[in-house]
Amino acid sequence: MFLTPSVVLLVVLLLGPFIYMVGVSFTDLNYALPGRDGSFLGFDNYRRLMRDDPVFWESFRTTLVFVLGVVSTEFILGFAIALLLFHQMQRRRIVLTLLLIPMMLAPVAVGLMWKLMLQGEFGMLTYYLREIGLIGPQTALLGDHRIVLWTVMATDVWEWTPFVTLVVLAGLLSLPREPFEAAIMDGANRWQVFRDITVPLLRPIIALVLLLRAIDAFKEFDKVFILTGGGPGNTTELLSIYTWRVNFRNWDLGYGATCAFMVYLVVLILCAVFYKAVYWTEGRVQK
Amino acid sequence: MTRPWRMAALAALIAVLVIALTPYLWLFMTSIKTRIDALADAPVWAFTPTLEHYPKVFLDKGYLPLVFNSLIVASVTTALSLVIGVPAAYAFARYNFVGKEDLFFFFLTTRMAPPISVVVPMFLLFGYVGLIDTRTSLILAHTTFNLSLVVWMMRGFFDDIPREIDEAGQMDGHTRAGVFFRILLPLAAPGIAATAVLCFMLSWNEFLYAFILVAFEGRTLTVGIPGLVTPHGTLWGQVAAVAVVATLPIILFTFLVQRHLVRGLTFGAVKG
Repeated sequence: MFLTPSVVLLVVLLLGPFIYMVGVSFTDLNYALPGRDGSFLGFDNYRRLMRDDPVFWESFRTTLVFVLGVVSTEFILGFAIALLLFHQMQRRRIVLTLLLIPMMLAPVAVGLMWKLMLQGEFGMLTYYLREIGLIGPQTALLGDHRIVLWTVMATDVWEWTPFVTLVVLAGLLSLPREPFEAAIMDGANRWQVFRDITVPLLRPIIALVLLLRAIDAFKEFDKVFILTGGGPGNTTELLSIYTWRVNFRNWDLGYGATCAFMVYLVVLILCAVFYKAVYWTEGRVQK
Repeated sequence: MTRPWRMAALAALIAVLVIALTPYLWLFMTSIKTRIDALADAPVWAFTPTLEHYPKVFLDKGYLPLVFNSLIVASVTTALSLVIGVPAAYAFARYNFVGKEDLFFFFLTTRMAPPISVVVPMFLLFGYVGLIDTRTSLILAHTTFNLSLVVWMMRGFFDDIPREIDEAGQMDGHTRAGVFFRILLPLAAPGIAATAVLCFMLSWNEFLYAFILVAFEGRTLTVGIPGLVTPHGTLWGQVAAVAVVATLPIILFTFLVQRHLVRGLTFGAVKG
């Protein structure tokens, strides 16, 4: 009936290949080495991942730093901007739309823009940061292994802070007026109103924003791929970039499937948390 | 608020806007600068514009077909996702059946699935059936994530239409299918339009699937960008020109669907 075509399509294009991939993760399939044509290995690939692959775990750590760093920064900045906009009545809509531009652009283009501005020799931003003495005359923001991860995180904050603003502002605008009026009648100050009324009322929205951003940040690929390609060394090699390298540079598809499966598993767990936190609390599931 | 506070808030907002928009402005300026201006030691803000990079990259370097590929992939993906997804959304909004919410969760996971984990098996599967480097492979890949977007967004729009309208339609002698096609679809048209624009944007902007699945013939604009960035001697004017063409339509669309963005980007959880 109405549902059949969509379910068939998703099963054929997603579930089928997914099961196939889990199958491949138990084999030694490798397009780059002769004789590795996909014989069964049992759990060898998983054992390798757990015990003998420090690069994977380093990449996992990098990804965690990236996710925690960008999500918390974007949340604080985005929330603050949403509050500013909430109190700014005139031309709110046009300002909001202009603010949204960074996150609507193709992430590849975002990466390119920042690469252009952060070039070591002629980058516009590099030039001004050197002029005001924030970085040394020789420092390259994308070349120095100590700061490159922070640079990459800054570009992500630029790109995705508007998302937090958009959703939090929508939440603020949908709040009922009465609790606020009552609190002010009772003599509460601004900070108390914010802490005791705004934040608790916004709790479902806050959970939603944090989870969606965490899931998306965990999957980050495009922008970082263009900016640094995971380097220098593997200082900015996020899990998705590492998985790409194993599969499509080393052509180690058996082990690559294992990595891809692990990434999927983490997202699936986050996704289940998201569904429980957001939809169950709203009572939508019961409807 | 008191006057000084109001001024401070306004100043902060303006600063935020400047930070948000300057990188794009700089990209655009680079696309119309001569090579000398673009590579100057100190940033050049005032210059004589040139349009030389656009014909060079799109005609001489043959990047024009990439625009067509992007257009075709994004349009067909959008159409396919809507045709398949809108009826599914209707079913979720109006029918009750066993396992409904589990199925809905399945749709969510397909939208959230990390592209890198999906593209690996897809690459193997499409290689097996000989679809690698065709627009078809990319259309199918993009439909997987856009389909669930359609289902999630349109379920919300159908939920917003009161059920009494269905009943009134049936009283008038329409069948259930008749109610869906003649009454509900026209009512949901603004929602469908917004969903379509979002689908188009997501497919147009997509990089990873395209990067893996189509290498030469079916290349889209986003895949064309990294190809022009080389460790030494990148022609920044030309890359910037490609990036501007790849992003200008999106900026236009952002203004069109701004109202519906919240719903689209939060899986219907926030109405906006």
